[in-house]
Amino acid sequence: MPKLTIDGHEVEVAAGTNLIEAARAAGVAIPYFCYHPYLTVVGQCRICMVEIAGQPRLALGCATPAADGMVVKVESSERAREAREAVMEFLLANHPLDCPVCDQAGECLLQDHSMREQAATFATHMLETRRTFPGYERRLIGPHVVQNQNRCIHCSRCIRFTREISGTAALTYKSRGNSTFIDTFDGSAFDDPMSACAADVCPVGALTVREVRFRKRAWKLRSTPSVCPGCSIGCNVFIDHHERVVYRFTPRENPAINATWLCDHGRFLAESLNEQAYLDPQHRSGGLAVRVGWGEALAGIAAEIRSAGALRVVASANLSNEELFLARELFGRHFKGEIAVPVAPGEPRKMRNGRGEWLHATDPHPNSTGARRLGLAVVDGEGLSRFLYGGAGLTLILDAGAHPFLASPEALQLLRVGTTIVWARREHPAAHAATWLLPTPSLAGNEGTFTSSTGAVQRFAEAFAAPGSVHRTATGAMSPTCPTIASPWGPPGEARPLWVVLTALARALGVAALDLASPADVFAAMVRKDKAFAGLTWETLGGRQPHESFRERQHVG
Amino acid sequence: MSTRPIVAVPPEALRIVTFDAAMEASIAELLPRYPTRRAAVLPVLWLCQERFGWISPGVVRAVAARLGESPAFVEGVVSFYTMYQTAPPARYVLQVCTTLSCAWCGGRELVAHLKERLGISFGEKTPDGMFQLVGVQCLGACGTAPVVQINDDYYENLDVAKLDAILDELAGRS
Repeated sequence: MPKLTIDGHEVEVAAGTNLIEAARAAGVAIPYFCYHPYLTVVGQCRICMVEIAGQPRLALGCATPAADGMVVKVESSERAREAREAVMEFLLANHPLDCPVCDQAGECLLQDHSMREQAATFATHMLETRRTFPGYERRLIGPHVVQNQNRCIHCSRCIRFTREISGTAALTYKSRGNSTFIDTFDGSAFDDPMSACAADVCPVGALTVREVRFRKRAWKLRSTPSVCPGCSIGCNVFIDHHERVVYRFTPRENPAINATWLCDHGRFLAESLNEQAYLDPQHRSGGLAVRVGWGEALAGIAAEIRSAGALRVVASANLSNEELFLARELFGRHFKGEIAVPVAPGEPRKMRNGRGEWLHATDPHPNSTGARRLGLAVVDGEGLSRFLYGGAGLTLILDAGAHPFLASPEALQLLRVGTTIVWARREHPAAHAATWLLPTPSLAGNEGTFTSSTGAVQRFAEAFAAPGSVHRTATGAMSPTCPTIASPWGPPGEARPLWVVLTALARALGVAALDLASPADVFAAMVRKDKAFAGLTWETLGGRQPHESFRERQHVG
Repeated sequence: MSTRPIVAVPPEALRIVTFDAAMEASIAELLPRYPTRRAAVLPVLWLCQERFGWISPGVVRAVAARLGESPAFVEGVVSFYTMYQTAPPARYVLQVCTTLSCAWCGGRELVAHLKERLGISFGEKTPDGMFQLVGVQCLGACGTAPVVQINDDYYENLDVAKLDAILDELAGRS
C-alpha cells in the first residue's frame, strides 16, 4: 500500500492506483478530460499534468501509478499550473465559446475547469480562425445522440466506450490531425444498445442526448439516487428532476452492477415516470365511478377485506421489497389470502459491471428477485390466468402494470366476476373493472428497496420528498388523509405509495405489528423475519452509501 | 517504362464484397507476419486497393469482417492515410512533388503545365477518367528532381517536354 503526499496531504492508497484517484482520496482534485475510471488510460488530453519531486519532467496524473514516498504537487506547483494553462489554450483555440447555447453547460468538464482556473487569462496566441466542421454542428448520429463536432476536444472517451464497454466499436476517429472528427461507419446510424452513454462520457457538448437536449438546464436539476425499473439487473441511477417533473435518468456509480453505465432501454423510461392518469381514489358502484377521499377509501377497503370470502392478491415484481413484505404479511398471513407475483416475458438485457463482466436479465421488472426471495409464488401469464380463474371473491391487484395479461379482455372478464380493488398509475383497462381504484405514484414518488438479479438489496429514494418530510405524524395521523395537492412536494394529486396504504390498512384492520411509519421500519421488520434480509441495515444499504458527488459527476461528464 | 494502369472496379460492383480464393490465399499468407490481426489491417487494405483499385465501404466491411474489427475502426484507418483511394481513381494517378528540391528544379512549371494541359486542379480527375492530379510532399528523390510518381512508378529528371511525351504515350496506349 503506497503512502504518498499530494499537495501536503498524506494519503495511503491501494497499489496500482493512479495519481488522479490517489489525489481524489486525499481531497485534491486533479483535472481531467480524457481519463475515465472505467475506460483504458490513454493520456491524450494532457490536462492532468502534475509535478513529482525529484523528477525533471511533469508526469501525467492518469498514467502514473502512486508510489511509496512520492511527493506530488498539483495546485502548489507553478510548472504544473503553467502546463495546464498551455493545454487549456490549445483546447480552447478551437472550442466554440457557445456555452450559453450549449446544453452541456453546467455539467461540462471543460467549462468547470475554465471556471476553476479563471484567474488564468487563457490568452491565446492563435492567429488563425477557429476550426469548424461545417455540416457536423447539429447531426443526429443515432437514434438518441446528437453530435456537434465543433465542440469536440478529441478525448476519445466515446470511442473507447464503444470499443471497451458496449462492444459495438461503432464510433471512430476519421481523418487526422486538426481535421480529426468522430463518426460512425459510412455515415450509418450509431446503433448501440447503450448509445446515450457515449453522450454521458463526452466531457463537453460534442455528444448530447436528443431526448433531453434543451429541456432543462443541468444546474436546475435535482438528483435523487434511485434504481432503474427497466429490468431485474438493477442499475443504479439518479432521477434528475425539477419541480416534480422527471427529466432524465443518469447512471450512478456501482462497480458491482453498472459501473457508470445505463442501457438506452432503461434510461429512456425516465420520461414515463411523469405519467399519472389517476390522481384520486375512486369508488365505482352501479357502473359509476366517484372520486373519494383516502379516509373513505381505506374504511371501504378494510370492510371489503374483512367480509371477503376468498382473498386473492396479485402482487407485482415492480413493487419494493417492503411493499411485497407488507402484502405477504397482511394479506397472506393475517387474512389467509393467496398471493401471486406475475413476471412478464421480457427482452434479454445486459449490462457490464466495473470488472468488465456482463450481467444478464430477462425479467422486465426491477424486483423479481426480491419477490422470489420473499418466498412469494412467482407465476407467468398462464399461471396468472389460472390464478384469476380461482373463483369469485375479493381480488386485489396491487399494480395494474404487473403483467400485460391484466389488460386482456379475458382478464377483465374474470375481474368483473367478483369485487376487485386496483392500484394503478397509468391508464389501464382494469381500472374500469375495479370497485375501488387507488392511485399510486411512480418510482420517483416512492421509497424502498429492490433486490437486483445478483442479490444486492438496493435502496431508492423519493425524488419529490420535502426535506425532512414524514409520511405520518407522531400522533399516528396518516399522510393519505392529509391533503397535499397544493404542495410542491410529494407525489402528484392524492397518489400514495403502496407501502403507505398497506400500513394504513394494517392500522384500519387492527394489525398493529404492521402499522409501521416508514419504509425503514418495514425494512427493519423484514430483517427480523426473513433470512434473505438477515444482517442488513437500512442505513448502509447499497445505493445509499455516502457518495462522492465530485467523482460521480465528473466522470460521467 | 510501361506503367500499369489502375483498373478501378465500379462502385455498383463493390457494394457487397466477398473475397475469392486468390484473395483469401494472399491474406492467409500475410497474417502470420503480424502479431495481431489488427496489425494486418494496413497490408490487407493494400491488397484490396491493388485488386479493386480503391477502398469502397463494401471493401471496408469485408476487411473488418475478415480481421474481426468493426467497420468503423477500419474506415477510421482508411481515412487517416491519404494513399488509400476512397473513390474510384483515374487510370493514371499523377503525384507531383511540390516540395523544395523539385520546386527549385522546375516542379512549379510542371504543376502549372499539368493543370493547364489537363484542365484540372489538385485532387481532381479528367472527365475521361484518364488522369488524376495529386500534389504531394517530398517523394524522396531530390537527386533526380523534379519527380512525378505515376501509379507505382517514378518518372525523374523531368521537364515539360518529357512529361508531355509520357502523357501522350499513356493516353495513346489506352
